[in-house]
Amino acid sequence: MNAYIVAAYRTAIGKAKKGKLRLIRPDDMAARVVKHIMEKTPSLDPLLVDDVIVGNATPEAEQGLNIGRMISLMGLDNIQVPGMTVNRYCSSGLETIAIAASKIEAGLADCILAGGVEMMSLMPMGGWRLVPNLGIAKSNPDYYWNMGITAEALQKKYKISREDQDEFAFHSHRKALEALAANRFVDEIVPITVSETFVNSQEKAETKEHIVATDEGPRADTSIEGLSKLRPVFDQRGTVTAGNSSQTSDGAAFVLVVSEKMLKQLNVQPIARFVSYAVAGVEPKHMGIGPVEAIPKVLKRSGINMNQIEQIELNEAFAVQALSVMRELDMNPDITNVNGGAIALGHPLGCTGTKLSVQLLHEMKKRNQKYGMVTMCVGSGQGAAGIFELMNNG
Amino acid sequence: MTRKIRKVAVLGAGVMGAQIACHFANIGIEVLLLDMPAKELNEKEQKAGLSSDHPIVRNRIVNDLFLKATKLKPAPLYLKAYASRITTGNFEDDLHKIAECDWIIEVIIENLKIKQELYTKIEEHRKPDSLITTNTSGIPIQMLIQGRSEDFVAHFCGTHFFNPPRYLKLLEIIPSPKTNQEVLDFLTDFGERFLGKSVVSCKDTPAFIANRVGVYSMMSVFHLIDEFGFSVEEIDKLTGPIIGRPKSATFRTCDVVGLDTLVFVAQNLQKALQDDEAKDVFQIPEFIQHMMGNQWLGSKTGQGFYKKIKTEGKSEILSLNLDSFEYQEKQRVKFGEFEAAKAVPHLNDRFKVLLKGNSKVNQFYQKLFFGLFAYVSNRMPEITDDLYKIDEAICSGFAWEMGPFEIWESLGVKKTLGMMEAMGYKAANWVYNMVQEDLSFYQLKDGLKQYYDVNSNAHQTIPGTENLVLLNNIRSSKTIWSNEGASIIDLGDGIINLEFHTKMNTIGSEIIQGINKAIELAESDYQALVISNEGENFSAGANIGLVFMLAIEQEFEELDMVVRTFQNTMLKLKYASVPVIAAPHGMTLGGGCELCMHTDKVIAHAETYMGLVELGVGVIPAGGGTKEFAYRLSKEIAQDDIRTNRFRDKFLSIGQAKVSMSAYEAFDLGYLRKDVDEVIISKKHQLSYAKKAALLMLEKGYTPPLPTKDITVLGSEGLALVYSGADGMEVGNFISEYDKHLSVELGKVLSGGELSEPAQVSEKYLLDLERIAFVRLCQQKKTMERMQSLLQKGKILRN
Repeated sequence: MNAYIVAAYRTAIGKAKKGKLRLIRPDDMAARVVKHIMEKTPSLDPLLVDDVIVGNATPEAEQGLNIGRMISLMGLDNIQVPGMTVNRYCSSGLETIAIAASKIEAGLADCILAGGVEMMSLMPMGGWRLVPNLGIAKSNPDYYWNMGITAEALQKKYKISREDQDEFAFHSHRKALEALAANRFVDEIVPITVSETFVNSQEKAETKEHIVATDEGPRADTSIEGLSKLRPVFDQRGTVTAGNSSQTSDGAAFVLVVSEKMLKQLNVQPIARFVSYAVAGVEPKHMGIGPVEAIPKVLKRSGINMNQIEQIELNEAFAVQALSVMRELDMNPDITNVNGGAIALGHPLGCTGTKLSVQLLHEMKKRNQKYGMVTMCVGSGQGAAGIFELMNNG
Repeated sequence: MTRKIRKVAVLGAGVMGAQIACHFANIGIEVLLLDMPAKELNEKEQKAGLSSDHPIVRNRIVNDLFLKATKLKPAPLYLKAYASRITTGNFEDDLHKIAECDWIIEVIIENLKIKQELYTKIEEHRKPDSLITTNTSGIPIQMLIQGRSEDFVAHFCGTHFFNPPRYLKLLEIIPSPKTNQEVLDFLTDFGERFLGKSVVSCKDTPAFIANRVGVYSMMSVFHLIDEFGFSVEEIDKLTGPIIGRPKSATFRTCDVVGLDTLVFVAQNLQKALQDDEAKDVFQIPEFIQHMMGNQWLGSKTGQGFYKKIKTEGKSEILSLNLDSFEYQEKQRVKFGEFEAAKAVPHLNDRFKVLLKGNSKVNQFYQKLFFGLFAYVSNRMPEITDDLYKIDEAICSGFAWEMGPFEIWESLGVKKTLGMMEAMGYKAANWVYNMVQEDLSFYQLKDGLKQYYDVNSNAHQTIPGTENLVLLNNIRSSKTIWSNEGASIIDLGDGIINLEFHTKMNTIGSEIIQGINKAIELAESDYQALVISNEGENFSAGANIGLVFMLAIEQEFEELDMVVRTFQNTMLKLKYASVPVIAAPHGMTLGGGCELCMHTDKVIAHAETYMGLVELGVGVIPAGGGTKEFAYRLSKEIAQDDIRTNRFRDKFLSIGQAKVSMSAYEAFDLGYLRKDVDEVIISKKHQLSYAKKAALLMLEKGYTPPLPTKDITVLGSEGLALVYSGADGMEVGNFISEYDKHLSVELGKVLSGGELSEPAQVSEKYLLDLERIAFVRLCQQKKTMERMQSLLQKGKILRN
């Protein structure tokens, strides 16, 4: 049994703490995307949805209490559809699609809303209360390294120069700016209306509405010269800067995954088939290299070779990390992150996997490609990769 | 109605104006800071599409100047956040806002016409009764009031701050004949108590008091160079700390101030002073003219008497050879005469040693000081009627420890007069009259310092000090106990003061003995104890030399006893049956900080630089400092709090050896307690206030704190955070491997150790952990290296 994607949408990605999406709660934001999918799939009765599976990398506080269930309640306006939350850090949003597909393939479900949401405006990195295991903190402190330090460790291992990192970052912005200028994301974005109540200069509470429909991350004034002046953040003598790392972001994304039976029942055309998915473990201190293990694994499992992949979304956690992966696997830069990556567009952790899948599917459609891949590194030493096959409906 | 200052306008945002604005912000006053409007758009503003009347454009000059000032070092603000107390604007759009201001301070260019034009506009907007003062140093106050209204003139005078205004204590007040006495009285009191300044009222004579005498003194050094042939380094050695002047002495001070500034003042003085018997001293010597010609003006042009160069990434300081006018490697200076002088601990006794004899150095000092003595004596009554004002002005404005009359007195006034005569220096007649009456410049009477008043030919108490408690004035008459390192002085009203007087006020066995004695006396015969001193710093911390010696000799049991004694002494302070108040100022580090943390209340001078800096010498705070942090952390944590974050903040203060850059910052770092400890701006009033605080505690009914056994520590939860955090810092090259080791040692105490769950522990438990860790660290080679570095080179080693 195959699992098909029939709808794929995301919010624009907001800049954490500075952007307008900071003004909405993550459950509200995700529910809007779910509602949008339901509107775009009029034949789908909410009661046909078997489950809502939501990826989130910091499931606490506003994102706590099983936010997946809250989103099913809020997004579908009924109590019968359940919901769950999945955390595999940065691949959470791809993991949810894989779980949905597996359930469908196993005959446990016919219709699942799979997605991810992350509001980094609200949460400190690593959550509100970081409490390492004392034994591990003593024996393997690198398990708790912040991601920036692992990026520096990767730099030491793979010797990616600062210049190459900055240049990569610059191109990420340039590609993203071109994509924005060409309205390439418009079809996939659910405009979010955000209401802001604040104290104005007359010291009175005032309410304003903002519509967020454009990715906020790309910077028109980015230059290689400007990037090269930034100081390393994580290692005084290092190379990783705020400019050549991914941005912290807010966003939500969902896809509708259905069985063949459901395709017929709803009488809808599939966008793509979910081919396969693999995760792999690597040294936690070299977590950024994760895709190098995950990609061969997923290719082998699906019986597809790398040459057949026509487009790749490789999450740009750090320029050094993306470059290390691309060089190790000899990946083609021309088909990778064609509209820019997380350095420019942002990386809303638990949402990223779904967001990149949404972007990939829409761009593959525009380019009429067959196989595409989403891949990313994952904190504490993992990699994930998923393959989609575009359905030629013509 | 009593005058109140709620809002101040500072007109002119140059280096002085902006910093004066900052100092008013420091004391909690709203400030309006204005400067010229910008007329044209710059590139960035054009790009942003702003119009030329946009406030961002109009206020660009003032905003840039203000921003630059806030980045100055040393910082003009006590806390960066205080910048929000200052609003900026420009002379054209915002001058009307001075109508809301109680005090308008003019700090614009030294040009009579421009100042007068501004004053005309000020008259249009200011509210009646508001104060207007000028920071001029070059234009007579009398000329500035010409053409002004009666109300303006009555509320106008000079208020001359010294750069940097936060740190240099002098504030000269220069009235015109028409200034209201009420205004002068108010400014004197406000300057002293609110701004923490030494206020000296001056006559309206060129350069007023401090610059007149200070520049004279500098110029006279320049002229002596020709005669004695000393090098730049030698002069700075001769005119530095050995005679109670700042380390920057003569030439480094010149480089910082700018030679052009100094020459400008000297030339103006030379022009203005027709009747000054020593006006030739203000003549610019040839070598200075040569330097001016070459634009060797000091730091501002990159070279002056010294030049900093960088070779292979290392910076080196060269000095100017005044014969060849070439920069050469700095020479180490050694004078045989200094050996004897250095053996004299008190500056007051040192001048006798330095001036006695016929060596080149002795003769240099004789000429330098005799010239100065003659000069200042002859300035009376020209620049002031009161001799103490000359000493006070030069000490607070140029950071000398002793003023000319004080130095003269230390040499014996009469004897020195004879020597001066023999060498051709002519002192003023009033000095002869005074000596004839068998009087001296100063005397102490009933705990008050009195000066010789020329007009009444008798001693008078220095005005404004009648109600102040100053240790220097009562030490000789009120000391009730003392040893080598500490003295106990009776402050009256049942309050005693413990004073330290070791080198840098480091805490060794004498001071420990002193503390124990003071508590014993306070509990038996008195009612409260204040710990304060009038040294340069409150205390640089525990005596590391002693710890180092014991560690080298592997006397670890002895070392354990020493630490235990320190800890027990701190506990005695905390649980004494009488109020104990600490009044720190300046550096209050390590053991000095721990001491403050164990008192009932700290009355800190605003310029208090506090920190538990033990990690810098390879140990952790073990005099109860870490314990006290655990205790304070425990009190802060409320139910369901994210306690690990609070643990982290407390940990980082000690773990990064953070030192507060003002007393206010010490609250943020956890060394001072909000709602308990207090800050006072005026150093002069600090001890009097501390004494009053003790009396108030007594009046309310004092009971000491009860011993606690319920300090909540986080155990493994906190410690794990330290292990993983310190590892990240090391990997990121922010700390060394040994720093990580020290962090873990600190973490083991602050968290209470590897406890399975957060638990309640006693002070004793934590003190034991502190002490054991301390002694354990003293057995480490790298700790020894750190201590050695501090002891031998005065430098913190991060090995």
